[in-house]
Amino acid sequence: MKILPMLLLLCPALVSATEFCPDARPTDAWGVSYQLSGDKQGTLLLLRQQAQTAFYNPQNQIAEWWRFDNPKHPQFSRVFGEAKRRIDYYAGDLRTLGVRVSQAEIESFTSEHLRQVLTKVPQSSCTTAEAYEGEYQQVHYQLLWSTTLGLPLVLETEVGGKVSRWQAQQLLTNDTVKQQLQQWQRYQRTDFADVGDNDQDPFLAKMINQGFVEHSEHAAYDSHGHPLGNHGH
Amino acid sequence: MKLKAIVLAMMTLSALTLAGCGSDGEKGATGATGATGADGSNGQDGTDGRDYTAANEWFMAGQDAVTKASGNSISDSAGKAKNIILFVGDGMGISTLTAARIYQGQQQGKSGEENRLSFETFPYSGLVKTYSANQQTPDSAPTMTAIVTGVKTKDGIISVSDAAVRDQCSTSTGHEVMTALELAEIAGMSTGIISTARLTHATPAATYAHSVERNWEADSDMPQAALDAGCKDIASQLIDFPYGDGPEVAMGGGRTYFMPNTETDPEYGRAGRRNDGRDLTTEWTSKYSDGAYVWNRAQFMSVDTNSVKHLLGLFENSHMQYEADRVNGDGAGEPSLAEMTSRALDMLKQNDSGYFLMVEGGRIDHAHHAGNAARALEDTVALSDAVRVAIEKADKDTLILVTADHSHVFTIAGYPVRGNPILGLVRGVDASGAAATTYSTDSNGMPYTTLGYANGPGFGFGSAAVNTDSNRPDLNLYAVTDVDYRQEATVPLGSETHAGEDVAVYAKGPGAQLVTGSVEQNMLFHVMNYAANLVGRAEAAQN
Ligand SMILES: [Zn+2]
Repeated sequence: MKILPMLLLLCPALVSATEFCPDARPTDAWGVSYQLSGDKQGTLLLLRQQAQTAFYNPQNQIAEWWRFDNPKHPQFSRVFGEAKRRIDYYAGDLRTLGVRVSQAEIESFTSEHLRQVLTKVPQSSCTTAEAYEGEYQQVHYQLLWSTTLGLPLVLETEVGGKVSRWQAQQLLTNDTVKQQLQQWQRYQRTDFADVGDNDQDPFLAKMINQGFVEHSEHAAYDSHGHPLGNHGH
Repeated sequence: MKLKAIVLAMMTLSALTLAGCGSDGEKGATGATGATGADGSNGQDGTDGRDYTAANEWFMAGQDAVTKASGNSISDSAGKAKNIILFVGDGMGISTLTAARIYQGQQQGKSGEENRLSFETFPYSGLVKTYSANQQTPDSAPTMTAIVTGVKTKDGIISVSDAAVRDQCSTSTGHEVMTALELAEIAGMSTGIISTARLTHATPAATYAHSVERNWEADSDMPQAALDAGCKDIASQLIDFPYGDGPEVAMGGGRTYFMPNTETDPEYGRAGRRNDGRDLTTEWTSKYSDGAYVWNRAQFMSVDTNSVKHLLGLFENSHMQYEADRVNGDGAGEPSLAEMTSRALDMLKQNDSGYFLMVEGGRIDHAHHAGNAARALEDTVALSDAVRVAIEKADKDTLILVTADHSHVFTIAGYPVRGNPILGLVRGVDASGAAATTYSTDSNGMPYTTLGYANGPGFGFGSAAVNTDSNRPDLNLYAVTDVDYRQEATVPLGSETHAGEDVAVYAKGPGAQLVTGSVEQNMLFHVMNYAANLVGRAEAAQN
């Protein structure tokens, strides 16, 4: 662990290279689009409106949508754009699935905890960002953290020589984000607790067969529909 | 002669067992010769001349139970029950009862197996066949319909006969079947509906609503064609209830189905689900001048049951909290199933014409679907607590039934030692019958839990530690007794399914003797009708 900062000094461009360096957090609704490159490819949108955070994969139109209006009652939905359907999870449902909810982790794109376990390193490309690097649970991380957005601008992981890199590309506008959330609001809803009683519903039957209940904690999806996130449990 | 020989053989066997287990030493001095038994078996002591019955607690407890049961020669006449309380554990199969009984016993610091849930002390019980008109394994809609109307119907259909087609509004006309609760209202009795699920969920809905689709809980859940054809959503049917003076008590979850989409929920800030603009909670209080509406525990506790005659309680947006999460997990606070039952009985008992109360433990089913046994067992114990309240509060002229709508593919497996934690890994017994020092293992040398599911989300455990040889996770690495632990499943499914085997029914009070043997589920309505003469009382009240 101790030698990592030195390694970084040899190749500082890796973590600090970003042209996207916002100097203020937008108010009301906003979002960030991320490009995934390296071993895996894809796009992921992070949408934010007050206490709501959503991770949306535009390729498969699947989203994970969190609401923390009442922090004691976190509300979570899986959104399936193609089917125009939503599965709503209440706090008790999340507990039955062994999901421990951390608002800070979800709102920081899973990076809140990483900032504590990684080592802070110098960088120069973005004055409103901090760089971190290090090893955590057999994964090597490089993180460029935007202090204004409270989000990563760059999150790079390396496992067994395979590198994946999430790079923030641009801010999403107020209207884009609001429209998206409003659209999901209108989708047909099913409580997760009721899924098992509805295997005659073709959409739910498909979900039951595919086992749509992911076993990861709050997972953002990559372009293959696999959850992003590195928390085994 | 042959019978005598068998009895004699049993006695000998008992005597041998006693000698073998050496309990004589444990129990102290040999007891005096026991009282003369009704069957004249006294005097058949063991060869050592002792009365073994005095020393073997199993033998004595069994004899005691038979003596008590032999006094049960009741044949109550029709109509002897003034009141009926029907308890339904949604998804509370027999394996759930066994596990919950052990779980509760172990929570009390005992080994658990000897414990009895409150209703397991009832004098009568039977087995109930749960298949629906069109499925071997049913859902709650046809099963609860069978229990409260006396008619089996198809899956997904609520208190409409199987002449109807699910989801086809036009097929319901003329096929609605009268429920026990409706008959009770017509008869001038007081009625109540309590559930920890949404009040609009299949089980509670079957008592007061008629719908060819269980999912039509609010108008926004219904296709336009069904609305145009005149079918009504389930929530509105509770408020528009046309019989008698309407239900006196309706408590559970499902607030959002009673609220217009222009109004936001007081606890969640989300919009209601009604597109028709109706606010059914205010309609309740304007329809019943002596009515009240409450949505949290503090309001519930402050209701004056002497002045409030129609109480609507909606304690969650959707289903109420699991019992395991109720106290710490809920923001606004919710009453327990036992508290709701207690308060409901305070209100219903005021009617001299009697009452009909249905109480559902609605979330046992949901925890099972999630493959989470601990929460299913907690909610089963909560139902047992509610039954205990009813036993204490109900007068002798009350028939109490406790049953389930259907089972789950939930098993109790292996050969765990007595007192082994019911949520734990199986630890068997060694060659001498004492607790083994290591866990029992599968063919790959891996430990396993006593509780498991035949299908469901517990299969494989996703990205977690997996033993590649056995394809089962190494459960040594898991906190298997944690309330959040999800038991393993044989077949991978996103949601565990119901099961098709029989469930149990327990009965106490006038007419309870009718509950015995193996019965069709729709027979339970007829038991209630016979015991309380619901049809007769309803007809008399109309004249
Ligand atoms: Zn179910």
